[in-house]
Amino acid sequence: MLILIPQDAATVLRASGAWGRLSLRISQPDDLAVVGGISEGGGSIISVDPPPPAPRLLASCDSRPTGYWYRAKNELHALWHLLRVRRDTAMKLDVFKDAVPNGFKTPGDGGYVALTHAPGVKDAYPESRLPDLVAWHVTRAGFQPLEMSAEPETTGIRQLDHHWPVQELQNAHIMLVGAGSIGSATAHALAGYGIGHLTLVDPDRLQWHNLVRHTSSRRHIGRTKVTALAEELTQLRPDTAVTPLALDVIEHADQIRALLMDTHLVVCTADGVAARRVTGHLARRADRTAILACVLQYGALGEIIRLHPWRRHGCLTCRRHSLTEAGSLDPEPALDAGYGTGTRHRPMTAVGPDLHLVAHLAAKTAAATLLEHAGHPDQRLPGEHALIGLRRQPGWAAPFDLGRTAELRWLPATPPRPGCPTCEAP
Amino acid sequence: MPGLNGEPEEAHRMGIDEAFDALQKSVDEDIKKTRLARGRRDLFKEALLKEPDVLETFGSGSLSRSTQLKPIHDVDIVVVYDPDEHPEWGSSGPSAEEALEHIRSQVNRLLSQSKGTHATVVRHTLLRNHAVKCFLDDPDDPEAFTVDVMAALRQPDNSLLIPEQLSARWVPANPEYLINMVAEHQRDWSYFRPLVRLLKQWRLDVQVEGRIKSLVMEVLALQCLPASGNRCQGLKTFFTAAATRVNEGVWDPAGLCGEIQPDLDREGLSAAFAEAADLADQACTAAAEGDTDEALRLWQEIFGEDFPAPAAAPKSTALIGAPALISPRPIKDAPQG
Ligand SMILES: [Zn+2]
Repeated sequence: MLILIPQDAATVLRASGAWGRLSLRISQPDDLAVVGGISEGGGSIISVDPPPPAPRLLASCDSRPTGYWYRAKNELHALWHLLRVRRDTAMKLDVFKDAVPNGFKTPGDGGYVALTHAPGVKDAYPESRLPDLVAWHVTRAGFQPLEMSAEPETTGIRQLDHHWPVQELQNAHIMLVGAGSIGSATAHALAGYGIGHLTLVDPDRLQWHNLVRHTSSRRHIGRTKVTALAEELTQLRPDTAVTPLALDVIEHADQIRALLMDTHLVVCTADGVAARRVTGHLARRADRTAILACVLQYGALGEIIRLHPWRRHGCLTCRRHSLTEAGSLDPEPALDAGYGTGTRHRPMTAVGPDLHLVAHLAAKTAAATLLEHAGHPDQRLPGEHALIGLRRQPGWAAPFDLGRTAELRWLPATPPRPGCPTCEAP
Repeated sequence: MPGLNGEPEEAHRMGIDEAFDALQKSVDEDIKKTRLARGRRDLFKEALLKEPDVLETFGSGSLSRSTQLKPIHDVDIVVVYDPDEHPEWGSSGPSAEEALEHIRSQVNRLLSQSKGTHATVVRHTLLRNHAVKCFLDDPDDPEAFTVDVMAALRQPDNSLLIPEQLSARWVPANPEYLINMVAEHQRDWSYFRPLVRLLKQWRLDVQVEGRIKSLVMEVLALQCLPASGNRCQGLKTFFTAAATRVNEGVWDPAGLCGEIQPDLDREGLSAAFAEAADLADQACTAAAEGDTDEALRLWQEIFGEDFPAPAAAPKSTALIGAPALISPRPIKDAPQG
């Protein structure tokens, strides 16, 4: 059996005296129990469940006074470790009794679960990493160690503090335009990197046909994609504050423009040429870097474009033109339409994980861009434009002529074209 | 494995620290010359502060921020005038030039070599766009020491208006903002000012079109140098961040005077920063691996001959091709899932 000790329970145990009773919620089919209440000595059992609305663990199981906890000598925890290594080895009850100076309860027929707290174990065995809280099964015949898992004091992204620049990314604010198949996976990945603030922009609602590629589940059908995503991310990655905005980047450009002032970086996973162009245009005018992610050729090719608002770096339209002039890109009919207009997007034809692969590369590009800007040389990217083969087809024009599936190619930026309304200041 | 090679690593780090100290010494002006410059500045401040129409005087420029490069030939002071004494100042027109002429006559009366009432140090004065340049040495001497005196009017928001002779206007400025930012960064991290001086020196050898203003480097340093860590890590961070930041342009941090050097060769400087970032990254890795000699050589590649480094190791003739800067490390077969 695995005994779970949530953080509140561990805090109470560490602060309590010599012994007391435990109430446990036990799920027999899962061979699992969670500490739900603790008493000090013979007093009444006080709940250590998190306050609502936080969900309790094993909420459907009843909490019963089925165990005890004791303050124990350090050696008992060393014994816990040894017995676990040996497996299925029981020890005589006297040994346990001697290690528990106060309050020991003799077990009945079925025995009971006991937790022991050895406050001095870290000082006594500094290199051993022995836990100060461990679990036992105590019977008349003897006692055996039980698996236990105590919630650590540090949870969430801060657990990675010395391995990953958590603070820089916790302070960052990213706007994600598009919360569809690529966008939903990008949002999850950005939160996974520890981005502190995420603004989601997408007017669409989640529909049946989206489920095959979207990260949201069936229970969100009919809600806006941004609301569903915000709710899921808040549950899964509480270190990321998510603002859902059911806005259309073209229709509500003025609102987006104002929001960009508080944004460090824009990631666009919207489909349709117009939405991507408008996002790139707004970001450049606001002096923000934009990262655009999409698939081309019906999901056969993934593409990430990073648009810095720099003098020698052209906007999306300028980059597309240079590829079109080289004969490698067939422009969308909407490409020559006026600002803010264009055709509706095509139905998506790629498979979910391929889109999520592109999404994760887009999120990596975003995190790396922020970190390079903050001075981390290990996060510099090899270029400004990435192509990734998803379902390679022979005969594509360069630079789209990737040799094999999963090949990744990085290209440099292209300069602005003279007279470009986005690149040349108004 | 920190326990395995902790001691030698400590010894190596000493070697790199000492090399940085030696470089710093070659860049910093010696304390006597700095004191002389400060003394001359203070003489001007005292003399002008006694004038009935002067409210305050303070030093600006790199000497007042302790980020000056040697040799120091000039210092800057700001003289804040009482607007009640000069009601016509502050608006466009001839008053900009009048203010500068006013300073010139005050300086001559108080400090001129022949008839100064406070001291006899100024040999010659020249009217510049924003200041009166006062020569304490022969003006023909290229090393002549000068004091630039600027007139200013304090605004309700605590910023300043300064006269601009060429445009016949008074323009906003806030030199104290930069002084305070530099002091604040220095309080957080004692390597800040010395590293700014190193970086200003570094810029002089960068291959760019035109020159790089020293204020550009100072503002980039404010934005890109960290507030903790050792000098090597700080420089690695700086070069990496500056390589992207310079593409955004370098602007007056007080937000008043716009872009500091509109003709700056952003691409050239960005490329130089990126190259230095690569070398600094390799140098930090070499030091962490215990290869101090290699680290020193890499830092020398960034900072030039003034950075002491051992001669390059003799190339083994048995090897074909050039040896790698750092021998590649094998990857441990310890998959994580
Ligand atoms: Zn353009």
